[in-house]
Amino acid sequence: MGEAKNNTAKWVWLTGRHNRIAYIIVGLFFVALPLFMPPYLQGVMTKALIFGIFAMSLNLLVGYAGLFSLGHAAYFGVAAYTSSILTVRYGVESFWLAAPAGILMAVLVAGAFGFIALRLSGVYFLLVTLALGQLLYSVALKWQTVTGGTNGLINVGYPDLGLPGFTMNAMSFYYLVFAVLVISLFLLYRLIESPFGVALQGVRDSETRMRSLGYNTWLYKYIAFVVAGLFAGVAGVLFRHYSTVLVPTDIGVLASTLVLLMVIIGGDRVFWGPVAGAILITFIVHYSSIYTPERWPLILGGLFVLAVMFLRGGISIYLVKLWKRLEYHYGSIKS
Amino acid sequence: METILLNVLNGITFGIMLFLIASGLAVIYGFMGVLNLAHGVFYILGAYFGLAALAYGVPFVWAALVGGIAVGLVGLVVELVFLKRLHKQLNEQVLLTLGFVYIFANLARWIWGPYAKVIDAPAIVSGSINIGSASFPVYRLVIIAAGLALAAGLWLFTEKTRTGSVIRAGMDDKEMTTGLGVNYGLVSSAVFFTGTFVGGVAGFIGLPIIPVYPGMVFDILLLALIVIVVGGVGRIEGTLLGAVVIGLIDSLGKAYFPDFAYFTMYLAMIIILLVKPSGLLGRGK
Repeated sequence: MGEAKNNTAKWVWLTGRHNRIAYIIVGLFFVALPLFMPPYLQGVMTKALIFGIFAMSLNLLVGYAGLFSLGHAAYFGVAAYTSSILTVRYGVESFWLAAPAGILMAVLVAGAFGFIALRLSGVYFLLVTLALGQLLYSVALKWQTVTGGTNGLINVGYPDLGLPGFTMNAMSFYYLVFAVLVISLFLLYRLIESPFGVALQGVRDSETRMRSLGYNTWLYKYIAFVVAGLFAGVAGVLFRHYSTVLVPTDIGVLASTLVLLMVIIGGDRVFWGPVAGAILITFIVHYSSIYTPERWPLILGGLFVLAVMFLRGGISIYLVKLWKRLEYHYGSIKS
Repeated sequence: METILLNVLNGITFGIMLFLIASGLAVIYGFMGVLNLAHGVFYILGAYFGLAALAYGVPFVWAALVGGIAVGLVGLVVELVFLKRLHKQLNEQVLLTLGFVYIFANLARWIWGPYAKVIDAPAIVSGSINIGSASFPVYRLVIIAAGLALAAGLWLFTEKTRTGSVIRAGMDDKEMTTGLGVNYGLVSSAVFFTGTFVGGVAGFIGLPIIPVYPGMVFDILLLALIVIVVGGVGRIEGTLLGAVVIGLIDSLGKAYFPDFAYFTMYLAMIIILLVKPSGLLGRGK
């Protein structure tokens, strides 16, 4: 009974004739957005989009592989720390060297952690990902000579793309992040629509059935885990250019649960849902930590309870329904 | 020789403390199928409620009970209002209890402040005994005795009483158990109350050894999780063994490999998982 209840919320896709219109409108909205925003809001929006990439990477596990990871900030953090350490301690200024190195480290760590965590399933997987995430957090905390401990690593500001005569500012950094987000969405979408992605969703729905059909289900989950680590790393190397200082709490359990909340509130059953959740949660956290710096965890906790009890499908399902209604009303007139 | 003995004794004390921390979580997960990530926050709430009782002049032992019962009641509300509707939905349980971690930890910080609280052991057991030239606090022996008594009590209750067998039957097949005329709702509420009660009592009686502050909720949760992963769930002996093994590894690790002290616990967990994924005494599925 409980199992069936889990699956009642349907997977929602934009399948209507006018879905391209929706994507173009949303795309243009995000391109135009910074033009109408003061720089500090551009910053918040940039952060929201970075977390959008991060949440999308987690949703490959949560939504498409059915694996609840509570330590996903580990890969985000490894990438952010690796590229920052290269810059701060070894003087590697170029974005094109530091960023791939960070992403590579995230992939390697995800490869190792995935090997350990995927020996287990269900609740044990969840517990072990949490423990492994905290393990990395304590490395960042204790290995002071390299990571700076609680003082963190002072970062270098916007990335140096090595283009002559071009220095990045808040607005161009926003566009860089937006471009990376769009590319990541495209790649993840292709992955999910590929035979691999379809099989992965089969593993999520019934691992036993997929195994008896001859699929190596472990390998599918493992690859999903590593790819999720890769995209978390992409978000991590962008994040370290956003934040002025990188501290261990950026990669600890709070970050891991925050990104999980983004996935759940946004909706793990709509492809772009986690991005919507990331934007919503980033702004809620931003404003609530301005207005009640002491009490915002209460709001955060309340959102968890609300999301689980009343909003299990996430906000994106409502956005899709809204669009379908609009399409129904105006679609016949336009075409 | 004495230092080795002392390290082993400290390891056992820490292990028993870990058992006290983890057993509530293990009981709720193992006999109810609910993963309560708010266990760490219930632990600190038990300490705070007990401290409040102590401030009103309630004796130590009774303050521990007050702390436990108060936390048990909070847990009961969470179970009756929210968790009851999420039967067998493990991911939803995780998210919900995660929410309560933030809510209760922040409320605790609001009411009692962010700083660590610690108390002395009650006067009767505040001395220490001499082992050769070294000395060992009596209160730690009390903790060891309390932990062993709890383990024995939980084992007897779950394995040897009728209620215990109803609980295990409900865990295996809820509908069949209900069909036999058992009020399983009442039983599962009782299990949840017991688990949070034990967690709350642990928070208070641990105070002379482990200072309590709101920021520690995830550390406590993590310790409990490591113990139940290592020990395996569904059996009290497994949790006890896991707790003592981790306690000893941590204590000996701190004594002999101080540079890696922070990580020995994780390393032990990873090695045990790679060798035996169901935990030391887990009922392998």
